[in-house]
Amino acid sequence: MLYYYVVFSPIEALIASQLEPRMFGSYMARGSKKGSAERLMFAEIKGGFADHFDWDYAKRKCVSRPDGTLKHSLYLSIYRVIEHIPLEQYKDIYLVTKDGSTLGLSQEPYRRPDNWAGYGLYKEHCPVHPFIASSLEPKALADYIINDTEKKITVPAIIFNDVRRIDFEEKEKTGNIGSMFDRDLDHLIDCIHAVQNHEDKITKTIDRSFDSKFTYQIVDNGFYIARGKGILFYPMPSGEALKELDYDWGKSANIFS
Amino acid sequence: MIGFVIIVAIGAVVFASINFYGVKRKDAGTDEMQQIASAIQEGSKAFLVLEYSIIIKVAIIIAIILGVVVSLPSALAFILGATMSATAGWIGMNIATISNVRVSNEARQTKSLGQTLRVAFRGGSVMGLCVGGFALLGLAIVYLVFGLLFEQVAPENLLFHTNWLGISDIPFTMTVSSYALGCSIIAMFNRVGGGIFTKAADMGADLVGKTEAGIPEDDPRNPATIADNVGDNVGDVAGLGSDLLESYVGALVSAMILASYIYFSNGDIPASLVAKLIYVPLLIAAVGIISSMLGILFLLVKKVSSDPHKELNAATFMGAGLTIISSGIVSHLVFRSEELTTIHFALGSLSPWVCAVLGIVSGIVIGRIAEYYTSYDYKPTQKIAAASLEGAALTITEGMSVGMVSVIAPVLVLGFAIIAANAVAGLYGVAMAAIGMLSFVTVTVSVDTFGPIADNAGGISEMAKLHPDVRGITDKLDAVGNTTAAIGKGFAIGSATLAALSLFSSYLYAQAGENVVHGSAMMLNMVNPLTLVGALVGAAIPYLFSGLLIEAVANAARKMVQEVRRQFKADPGIILGTSLPDYKTCISISSAGALSEMRVPALISVATPLVCGFIFGAEFVGGLLIGTTLSSVMLALYTANAGGAWDNGKKYVEDGHYGGKGSNAHKAAVVGDTVGDPLKDTVGPSLDILIKIMAIVSLIAVSIFSKYNLFSLLMK
Repeated sequence: MLYYYVVFSPIEALIASQLEPRMFGSYMARGSKKGSAERLMFAEIKGGFADHFDWDYAKRKCVSRPDGTLKHSLYLSIYRVIEHIPLEQYKDIYLVTKDGSTLGLSQEPYRRPDNWAGYGLYKEHCPVHPFIASSLEPKALADYIINDTEKKITVPAIIFNDVRRIDFEEKEKTGNIGSMFDRDLDHLIDCIHAVQNHEDKITKTIDRSFDSKFTYQIVDNGFYIARGKGILFYPMPSGEALKELDYDWGKSANIFS
Repeated sequence: MIGFVIIVAIGAVVFASINFYGVKRKDAGTDEMQQIASAIQEGSKAFLVLEYSIIIKVAIIIAIILGVVVSLPSALAFILGATMSATAGWIGMNIATISNVRVSNEARQTKSLGQTLRVAFRGGSVMGLCVGGFALLGLAIVYLVFGLLFEQVAPENLLFHTNWLGISDIPFTMTVSSYALGCSIIAMFNRVGGGIFTKAADMGADLVGKTEAGIPEDDPRNPATIADNVGDNVGDVAGLGSDLLESYVGALVSAMILASYIYFSNGDIPASLVAKLIYVPLLIAAVGIISSMLGILFLLVKKVSSDPHKELNAATFMGAGLTIISSGIVSHLVFRSEELTTIHFALGSLSPWVCAVLGIVSGIVIGRIAEYYTSYDYKPTQKIAAASLEGAALTITEGMSVGMVSVIAPVLVLGFAIIAANAVAGLYGVAMAAIGMLSFVTVTVSVDTFGPIADNAGGISEMAKLHPDVRGITDKLDAVGNTTAAIGKGFAIGSATLAALSLFSSYLYAQAGENVVHGSAMMLNMVNPLTLVGALVGAAIPYLFSGLLIEAVANAARKMVQEVRRQFKADPGIILGTSLPDYKTCISISSAGALSEMRVPALISVATPLVCGFIFGAEFVGGLLIGTTLSSVMLALYTANAGGAWDNGKKYVEDGHYGGKGSNAHKAAVVGDTVGDPLKDTVGPSLDILIKIMAIVSLIAVSIFSKYNLFSLLMK
């Protein structure tokens, strides 16, 4: 069995593997003999579409070793990967913790966030990585980033998630949110005010490179993959649902104490 | 009278047996749970067997020395003390390793917090009942056999006697002191060895597993996780049990010895009164055990609510309350017909009782103070958590501040208790205060042992991947165990101080010149250079002792870290969950580390007063004991409270404050907790034993080195 995975954090790559998604996640997070411990996010895709990627090369090279062990990974492409993958090719996405625990998220039809408060905080993962505030809800934001040609900078496709908001009045009882709001809360609040109070300010960059501070604890409604005019939505399970679904992943991700 | 005491002690052991088999009868859960529990049990037993094999050799040497230099009864009492303490530790640890999986399974099957609490507490009560029962049974046997049958408590024998080496002592005081020494030796090895084991495993598991590899606590992929759970049993169960057993015996014995010396120094006291002063501690201990048994029974039969802290407190307070009432009746009945002005009992027949109540109340107050400084419901610990936002350095600084500030309040309480008890019943009153504080030790040890059992149950639930609701129940019980442990440490330090002070008072009385049968206490002059230098050296000893212990933990933890890293690197399947880690090697590393590193600190505690005594004499050792006691009390309070506050500061962050788990504040709080770990669980508890063992050794040897020492030889 051959799988195709698009890794979108911490690098952008298309990888072929004989490992099923959870084993692939564990392998990528922990390495074989490297002893590494790295958080990782990837999506499984169907593969074999169009001719931008060399699918025959994958089929030829990604085969079991003579001793029968499976081929862990065969890199097919790095950077500028997601722009070449049509949305209909995406299957589930997987969130991998530092210790290799892997949670799969499935697609659901896009819906406006229930807790929409007039602005949103977003962490972009691919192809760029900033943490931003925006007055737009996720679908409108994706459309603005990809299709608004009036502005100088656009990307052909994007993967991001919305971020939990905290009560800025209660700086002590934050809940388990990791190091996201540790420092410079004033700047964060200024950015939120900027997108809330100035109609011409659609987005405001809070932090240019935020990967080291990102944790799964702060994912709010879920992940979004957008390309062209389309968008896919992968909802994040609630705490109670996650407890039933995969409690150990929740512990590994520091969502549960 | 002695028959009643023996029946009560045996009753406690029988009750322990009933609870033992009551827990053992319960279902041990799935095969996987039983496999995990079996690994913990095997590791715990293997360590204790190795430890006891070393202790036996040391104990035989000490027994021979006591037999030759002091007397045969002393040697036999020493062996009995060591046997009682070792047996209680063994049974307690055994039931803890049987209970853990059954507690976990009870949560799995019933999903009831109350039912699960009951099983954990029933398991803990075995240790508590064994501590009370075996300690009192042994002491009652010593009293019956050597005191009554061999007439060591007969008036004509409560005088200084000179043995074949020309050494003068009161035989009965030597016999009961030797019994206490037997308990102390076991406590020293169990506490120090167990303390090193548990923290080496804990730190090793955390530093690589949690911090480097990012795997959660008690994850079966962590090679050190079984060793960590073994550590809970050998350190927090066997170690704590033998520690409090030793304190209990120390308090009882110190009162009995003081009574003997009071008679020695004042020939006008009627022999019947002295006899009562000697045996009333046994009676109060007996009614304390009955009260504790009722407290335990109360929790085992009542409908248990979902508030475990309240339920455990109810059992403790019931034990304490009944002890107060029953000891008052005992005190009045025993002393009502006696003329007590000659021994300066200010409140008549109730004087010993008032002192005991002072001890009970001050013990509870000290426990509450410890809770204030270490619980995250209060400001001091919350401030440490807040300081973590600014990094590890400020977490450490704030924790040190909290630890240092926390010393004064319990010291003032102790000071008040000592002065008040002394005003009511003299030095004997101080000893009675120590007895009061420990009179319901059976129920407090039961509550304290509940903690590590719940901790282990949580570990097994995690490792066996039980349903989150089950893990929620065991986690909640574990959290309660952390608070009870901090309170228990306050009790342990307070009672150790009072017991050491009483033993020190006896030390001052245990002086006699050539052919003297009556005499008075040695007066220590603090401006005497010998005494002053003794005090200075004594004050430094706890720092040397603590430093060695921390070094020992660090050495063993370092080896553990290297082993865990090696296993992760050698077999990537471990972290992927496709192959099992080698748990046994990690247990062996902790065992070897603990057994090799415990020898020097243990030797220091026994040898220091002897070496100093034979070189500089009794006045130097008197100063030494003062210095060691004062310095140890401060250091023990500081380390216990700072460590507890760092631990709970981390838990406060993990509870969802300042970013919670994974935040920078959490990383800083983890550093604080790791620094505090060996302080609160290895150093603090071991210091309690250091002061008692030094006082006991000095008390036994003073009659020898006051006669034979290099300094007086040179002066002559």
